[in-house]
Amino acid sequence: MKNETEEVMIETEADLLLKQLMHLKHYERPDEARMTRNKQNIMRQVREANANKRKSFGDLLEINIPWFFAEPKYGIAAVFVAFVVLQYAGITAQSSSESTGIYTSNNNIAALEQSSIGAATNSISYPSLPNNYQLFDTNQKSSDVMFVERLAPKK
Amino acid sequence: MAEDVRTEPDQEPEEELETVEEQVDEGPPDDELVLKSQQGDVHAFDLLVERYHGKIYGLTYNMCSNREDAEDLTQEVFVKAFEALPRFKGKSSFYTWLYRIAVNKTINYRKKRNRKRALSLDQFDQEIKTDESYSDLTSKGSPLRNISLSELQIKLNEVLQTLSEKHRTVVVMHDMQGIPHEEIAKVVGASVGTVRSRLFYARRQMQAELSEFVK
Repeated sequence: MKNETEEVMIETEADLLLKQLMHLKHYERPDEARMTRNKQNIMRQVREANANKRKSFGDLLEINIPWFFAEPKYGIAAVFVAFVVLQYAGITAQSSSESTGIYTSNNNIAALEQSSIGAATNSISYPSLPNNYQLFDTNQKSSDVMFVERLAPKK
Repeated sequence: MAEDVRTEPDQEPEEELETVEEQVDEGPPDDELVLKSQQGDVHAFDLLVERYHGKIYGLTYNMCSNREDAEDLTQEVFVKAFEALPRFKGKSSFYTWLYRIAVNKTINYRKKRNRKRALSLDQFDQEIKTDESYSDLTSKGSPLRNISLSELQIKLNEVLQTLSEKHRTVVVMHDMQGIPHEEIAKVVGASVGTVRSRLFYARRQMQAELSEFVK
């Protein structure tokens, strides 16, 4: 019993001694000038690091749309919505470009023929001929006109 | 005693602790400064350096008992934090995240420099002579009454250096910096029970070392 009490006392004394010694550590003060220099060095290095830092595409995304990465479920949902919208836009554009209605409808053809654009672009303007324009030489006789028979194919 | 699983230096603990808020002094909140720093505002990061420089220096100094190493480490911690800031998601407080970087950096630094470093200690403040603990230690009944203050300081730091890294980390954070067990657990990535256990064994070891010194 006496030994146990002594052990407890020794332990308590050692504990107290340790606490008192540890308490003294609070009075260790760093040199103010060194601390100021240290902070200045940190700030200088940070500026250098900032100047040299090339932001990757991933970093830019994280900075500008942090919610996308902070809550991945919303990010995935946003990607899905964007996919659906693009898909819909693609289908709409495809159907409009494939339509042949403008060429097959009678109304459209008539409108196209009447429009000045169609005349200007699709018709070739020939010079108008006089009514008494002579197509053949006046001395030419009908006997001059020869009919050439089709030659039989060689065997 | 349960072993902890060490994580990457800039990995964030899962939860934020309320106790952190109490330690923030006046000025813009950390979240605001962190956001500005993430957007490349170095002046905002300067404010964070001003705010936490003393605490990080205190941690690294007490872990190394060498002020030159502590200064280098403090510098490395803040630069590393700035570089890793784009990956900081705010799941934990900035303070806890910064402490985690500091602890891991210090442990890695000491592992790299395997040889034992000489002590290089800060001066005691003159106010120590008015302290009650100091008076008790130097009183007639104290076993340390014949030992000078500088000898006491050297012995205490030597004893600290005999501890393993993980034991010294909890002693420094709890007994010297007054950080609660729960927050230490978040920083070192262990359970609160493990932190308490480490603290207990670390104190026992220190007591044993000091009792040899007293004899």
